[in-house]
Amino acid sequence: MKTRKRMGYSFAGALALAVVTMGTASSQEVKSAVKYGDMNTVTQDLLNRAESDGNNFLLTNGDYWQRRYYPNTQINTANVARLHPAWIFQTEVKESLETSPLIINGVMYVTTSFSHVYALNARTGEELWHYKHKLGPVTTFCCGPNNRGVAAYGDMVYLATLDSKLVALDSKTGNVVWTADVADPELGYSETMAPTAVNGKILIGTNGGEYGIRGFLRAYDAKTGKLLWNFNTIPENSVGVWAEKDATGRDMHRDIAAEKAQLAKSGDPFKTLGGGVWQNPAVDLETNRIYFMVGNPSPDLDGSVRPGDNLYTDSLVSLDLNTGQYVCHFQYIAHDIWDLDAVSPAVITTVTGKDGKPTKGVIHAGKTGHVYVHDAKDCSLIRFSEAMVPQENMWTLPTKDGARMLPGANGGVEWSPMATNPVLGLAYAINLHQPMTYHVANAPYPQGKLWLGGAFKVIPSEEQWGNVTAVDYNTGKIRWQVKTPQPMIGGVLATAGGLVFTGEGNGLFKAYDAETGSTLWKFQAGAGVNAPPSSYTVDGKQYIVVGAGGNVQLDYKRGNAIIAFTVD
Amino acid sequence: MLAAALFLLAQVFPLHAQSIEEKAATCGACHGEAGIPQEKTTPIIWGQQEGYLYLQLRDFKRGMRKNQKMSPIAEALEREDMLALAAFFAKKSWPSLEQPSASKDVATRALTAISSVGCTGCHLDQFQGDASVPRLAGQSREYLAKTIADFRTRERANNPGMSDLMNATSQDDLATITEYLAGR
Repeated sequence: MKTRKRMGYSFAGALALAVVTMGTASSQEVKSAVKYGDMNTVTQDLLNRAESDGNNFLLTNGDYWQRRYYPNTQINTANVARLHPAWIFQTEVKESLETSPLIINGVMYVTTSFSHVYALNARTGEELWHYKHKLGPVTTFCCGPNNRGVAAYGDMVYLATLDSKLVALDSKTGNVVWTADVADPELGYSETMAPTAVNGKILIGTNGGEYGIRGFLRAYDAKTGKLLWNFNTIPENSVGVWAEKDATGRDMHRDIAAEKAQLAKSGDPFKTLGGGVWQNPAVDLETNRIYFMVGNPSPDLDGSVRPGDNLYTDSLVSLDLNTGQYVCHFQYIAHDIWDLDAVSPAVITTVTGKDGKPTKGVIHAGKTGHVYVHDAKDCSLIRFSEAMVPQENMWTLPTKDGARMLPGANGGVEWSPMATNPVLGLAYAINLHQPMTYHVANAPYPQGKLWLGGAFKVIPSEEQWGNVTAVDYNTGKIRWQVKTPQPMIGGVLATAGGLVFTGEGNGLFKAYDAETGSTLWKFQAGAGVNAPPSSYTVDGKQYIVVGAGGNVQLDYKRGNAIIAFTVD
Repeated sequence: MLAAALFLLAQVFPLHAQSIEEKAATCGACHGEAGIPQEKTTPIIWGQQEGYLYLQLRDFKRGMRKNQKMSPIAEALEREDMLALAAFFAKKSWPSLEQPSASKDVATRALTAISSVGCTGCHLDQFQGDASVPRLAGQSREYLAKTIADFRTRERANNPGMSDLMNATSQDDLATITEYLAGR
């Protein structure tokens, strides 16, 4: 209890002390180059129309609904075989690359590990400016010093940093406009996600599910960096309904009596229960709601110290955009002890509802290997897809010596965003098959240090592989599936040209036929292509762009390239 | 004798009036004047990651990590001292202990075990660490072996996640990992 009190105090203190530093531009942090172009202000109207914008790529996942469906058809099934590099830009950071490039009026913004931002001429790859965040001495990350991109709004771009700060940069110069302290890295908080900009707000969550944080999603004022609202992903009553089955109806073998006894003894574990949010929320401006995924409980594998359903871990959560007030949630796995949580970002799209009629839905690809389809009104589950990867021994409880269960703890689908094709009614997900044993151990809350409650171990003697899967989200059936030689991590882009783009750990970047899964084109990038692709058009020419820098989590070959492709 | 030395160190370390170089000189008594530790079970701190060094000093002071020599020394340090010492030693060049590279067979087995529990997720692919995560490459073999053993028994209690990962790995595999990392 003493520990918990201290944690509670420290966290409250961190909030109270949240400092916004205005105008801390530090010229030595920015390397200026030739200025190019005249970037238009990113207006809300521009962002609202991202879905049909065939020139820019304005949001991390394409549009507010996060469909990752680019509307230009210039690059298509008929000519994609001629796709070739237009330019390659090398960053100064040769480390895990997970960035989602944004492209606005001919200017591209990419980020790298260790919280760097580059602005590039999207026509040529020429560097316009480079912001290198001066990280504090303490940064806490479980799975690489990653960064997944910036948000753009007004005349600024926004970076969330590994040392848990939110930084607003002048989009023309890369100079710092304001910095906000988000949370204390010494307590296990860090930032790797791209923020989301909407209606004058910058939305961000936090990493730290392996460190006993209390997760949140927050809105900051885009102009000033002032905190507007905070939603704790872990409510003070995190117990829930003592659910015994997962979202698909399978028994999770919980010892409810033991949990209730523990609850009576130690109280609600909400202060150190994890529940990170590290992928972008989907935004529905028609209803003024956001939808996002909440990650695993802390410690990952030891449920004995955290009785109850551990709300809202492993859940889809919806909030009111203006206030941050709770609207609805759906928990996939209550009291998760396998780290098979919810990460891949929510996608809003029109789906066949429970009554067979078109309805606004929210879809999510789980680490379990299912694509889940929800009703956007109340978060309820409409259907779940066939399993995209082998599932064995679910839900075997972790043991001291290790219990084998599939999927392994990386999924299924990891953080990788899906793409969708609304015309075909398909969602494209990339999967891992990585057999593991799950081990449990007990340790008290370690004040911001790694707190796994055991281990997940890859079984070296078993084959690993991945796949690209097209799921019909109106039926839950798999339409097509292509096996890959390695587990997949990164992300997917679909285009109106009938294409699906995604990369592999072995350096191959491929284009698939969106309808059939046929491989239409491939390129060897020399390092793992483990980042979500984007597309854009300048001077009437469409490009596909992707980062090739490998991946820490799966230890894929590192590189430092941003590669743009065209068909001319 | 040890008690007397500790008493002396404790006296030397009110620290407020000392420069960072003077404070750091005290550390050299064990960690080496030129970065090579006096004893093989004492870690290299020259060139070690800044955040990691700070957190260890913090944890010694908090009692989360315990060591007969280090605990009383850290007890006398304020946070600013810890940060300054961490920054001071992080800027130094990592010394070579000239430990032999592991054989190909040992390296292969070590890398398989490393991949199984995902050491590179935090220590990164060249085992240089970053910020709060320590460099392992080229660290003293005896210190690595002792640390792993202490994690397994949880005598070293300031990182239970490491204890869990070490306990999920066989002793034989850990021996190859120790040899491999020391020789990198």
